Amino acid sequence: MANKLQRITKVRLSVVLIIIVAIALGFFDVPQVYDRAIDFANAKIQTTFPHFKNIPFRLGLDLQGGTHLVYEADTSKIPFGEKGDAVEGVRDVIERRVNAFGVAEPVVQVNKAQGKWRVIVELAGVKDVNEAIKMIGETPLLEFKEENTEPARELTPEERKAMNEFNKVAKDKANKALKEALAGKDFSEVVKTYSESETGADTGGDFGWIKQTGEFAKLFEGASKTEIGKVVPKVIDADNGLYAAKVNDKRESGQEIKASHILICFKGAESCAKETTKEEAEKTVKDLKLKITPTNFAKLAKENSTDSVAENGGELGWFQKGQMVKEFEDAGFALAKGQISEPGLTKFGYHLIYKTDERSIQELKVSAVFVKTKKESDILPPKDQWKSTQLTGKQLKNSRVNFNQSTNAPEVALQFNDEGKKLFADITSRNVGKPVAIFLDGQPISIPRVNEAITGGEAVITGNFDLAEAKQLTLRLNAGALPVPITLLSQQTVGASLGSESLQKSLFAGLIGFILVIIFMILYYRLPGFLAVVALIVYAITVLFVFKAIPVTLTLAGIAGFILSVGMAVDANVLIFERMREELRLGKPLSTSIDVGFKRAWPSIRDGNATTLITCFILAWFGTSSIKGFGITLGIGVILSMLSAIFVTRSFMQLFASDDQKRNLWWFGLKKNKDIQ
Amino acid sequence: MLQIISRSKYWLTLSGALFVVALLAILIFGFKAGLDFSGGNLLEFKFLKDRPTTEEAKTMIDELKIESGVVIQPAGEKNLIIRFQAADESLHQKIVDKFKNKYKDDVQEERFDSIGAAIGSELKTKAVYSIILVSICIILYVAWAFRKVSWPVASWKYGLIAVVALLHDVTITAGVFAVLGKFAGIEVDLPFIAALLTILGYSVNDTIIIFDRIRENLGRFPKSDFGEVVNRSLNETMARSINTTLTTLLAIVTVLIFGGASISSFALALTIGIFLGAYSSIFVASPLLVVWEKMNRK
Repeated sequence: MANKLQRITKVRLSVVLIIIVAIALGFFDVPQVYDRAIDFANAKIQTTFPHFKNIPFRLGLDLQGGTHLVYEADTSKIPFGEKGDAVEGVRDVIERRVNAFGVAEPVVQVNKAQGKWRVIVELAGVKDVNEAIKMIGETPLLEFKEENTEPARELTPEERKAMNEFNKVAKDKANKALKEALAGKDFSEVVKTYSESETGADTGGDFGWIKQTGEFAKLFEGASKTEIGKVVPKVIDADNGLYAAKVNDKRESGQEIKASHILICFKGAESCAKETTKEEAEKTVKDLKLKITPTNFAKLAKENSTDSVAENGGELGWFQKGQMVKEFEDAGFALAKGQISEPGLTKFGYHLIYKTDERSIQELKVSAVFVKTKKESDILPPKDQWKSTQLTGKQLKNSRVNFNQSTNAPEVALQFNDEGKKLFADITSRNVGKPVAIFLDGQPISIPRVNEAITGGEAVITGNFDLAEAKQLTLRLNAGALPVPITLLSQQTVGASLGSESLQKSLFAGLIGFILVIIFMILYYRLPGFLAVVALIVYAITVLFVFKAIPVTLTLAGIAGFILSVGMAVDANVLIFERMREELRLGKPLSTSIDVGFKRAWPSIRDGNATTLITCFILAWFGTSSIKGFGITLGIGVILSMLSAIFVTRSFMQLFASDDQKRNLWWFGLKKNKDIQ
Repeated sequence: MLQIISRSKYWLTLSGALFVVALLAILIFGFKAGLDFSGGNLLEFKFLKDRPTTEEAKTMIDELKIESGVVIQPAGEKNLIIRFQAADESLHQKIVDKFKNKYKDDVQEERFDSIGAAIGSELKTKAVYSIILVSICIILYVAWAFRKVSWPVASWKYGLIAVVALLHDVTITAGVFAVLGKFAGIEVDLPFIAALLTILGYSVNDTIIIFDRIRENLGRFPKSDFGEVVNRSLNETMARSINTTLTTLLAIVTVLIFGGASISSFALALTIGIFLGAYSSIFVASPLLVVWEKMNRK
């Protein structure tokens, strides 16, 4: 008796477990349901449970729209052992171009089949496929560029004339605004009529509190001497335009100081290029302190300081709290005007600070009319940082990864042909100490600094790269040096509208199929049929979970595979129930019938599904994406359906398996209790 | 109890005739190879307002002076399918531009498939290999599954007969497509191959399950006539055979009806094959088993 009770408890436990797991997996499949419930709960009982992690199903190109391109790479000119790397280089080049195209999760794969190298490109949701194909097919362009020192061109007379006219109109407009404001017209009206600025457009031209430094420095400077409530009597000329301003208010907020400093940095300090030790630096700074006075400060700074302002006598200009490192700022603000600090240490090294002036920070509250003007730089195209040299990938023989003989660090070696040797020698001798940039498809891939002129036609790029980075750089260099021509073998493009239409249709078909199977099972098998349906729902939830978790790319054929697997999933249940009925007809008790039914049906279920699984494996191996998708979804479905029949249906059935003789066996599909032989 | 085995002659004649007709259809008509296998280009437009007639479209394309054969056919209510032979991407763009210029936003490019001839023949080879591979695997599996049954029919005979039934299913399905290709222009493409492979895997299930029951009943009724045992087994498993097939058919037929044009021929092949699979297990494989046993006794 105790044994039986135990068994019932166990069955109940596993049923509860199955339901809990199914609900959890269901939330994973459709997190929206969970989110809505949680939102409701959060609102009701004032909690803040987070939403469920939403991982979308991965849809194939035929369902979300997109294009599938197969290229063949012509590697006939590449030495045998380097073919793989060369094609990998092509892949890298294509990937960079595709990424520039802004496609979500593009796929670019190399595939070697029967001695042929192919590159497969999958782009989801590209609008202009033609443009993408054009871009992918272009031969990669590798260029060596040097720093551009040429000045930007002059304005043409027409452009200058146009600019002057524009500015004149602006000036007239600003003057007119000023005149009206000075005449006492409501300032916000003037702003409304004349201002071209977005700032303060709704608040009568209010620019808020402006500071002496920053964006409105010129405006501040022009307006600072005007009294509160007055209009500034002159048009203020700022870099980008003209202001007619009115001062609304003034205030002081804290102090700012003006200081100079001497920095003695040492090896290990931030941005220090010196070999000085910390002790040496400390000694230097102490010696300096002994002889330094306000009069010789600038001179000593020029001679000793190691930072970039040394040439100006260490002059740092005005600064406020929060602009310098903490230690420096504290020391500087603590000084009296005209005083020089004791040596102090920051992360940059040792400092001596000379406080030359201090003042309180003024702020102005200003309303203003803004009128735009133009400068030369607004009209001229921006100056390119890099300019082309004659040297391109054509003169590069190859590149490879080397290891530095002393440090063993990976480095990238370049070898040029005769023409390239000469060009490279010219470039490097022109640019000693300066960077030279290597561009692939208009994007810099490496910007090494030239240490010395290289005339031998062989160069080495050293740097902090690890092996993978060095390898990637050589792949890219070689892709430009020895371009592998690619030809488009096949293209399959599906419009987004067709994709979503297919998705909707197949989902609808799936739903109908599912419902029909449910109706059939319940009508024919009654209670076990109902339990099988519950098991089928658990099955569908689990399959969808697996699709998301792996993730499986769902294609149209893949969804068909899933629908088919729903039909097949009940097969196992049918086998078991038919067996069970036979046992019941023989007059065996219900619980025994269930057990025997499962046991006897198992070999048939196993054998039957095994052949389908074999087919699925071969379909998945077949390779073409739609067929593969079908094989994978059907295969996953078949495996899970077996598990579902054995664990889920069985647990549910055992829940109802009491041996009460009065139990009406109609529920289990027998016509009458008399049916028992 | 249904007397199936005693009417073996009729079933086997019917199936044999179907098989021969299907085989002849395949040999005489052949298949209408889809783009996957023949290579070429297929461009499908969707016209939101007025669809041009085939002639109008033909005139427009003729203006582009394409050498390779162009075939235009309407599809669905709003679509037009244009097929043309090997060409590079620029030709595709020219055609699209031509239609876009004339119909502006009322025309959408729904899909464009371009398969190089090399890929086409490669896929053909691959398809044939995979059919052979699946068949071999299934023969081996069936032979293994029946390794312990040797009386009164040797285990390899079960395997062989299961395969004969399979061949019957696949050939008739393929024959239907040969006829449909000839008279309705339905093409054979990669999904069709996938359907055939699935039929190979799935329809042998029924045969295996019936043979399992025969094996079991042979143990239970050792003195009965072999034909009777087979007939009894068929009857015992009949409900199961019908129900499993029915549920699977319910699922695949909904795909056939509601799944849309792109997948309908795939679903059709599966529907025919799955139906035949159940039919052949009962009316072909089992009678053949009895016939073979009788021949052995003589």
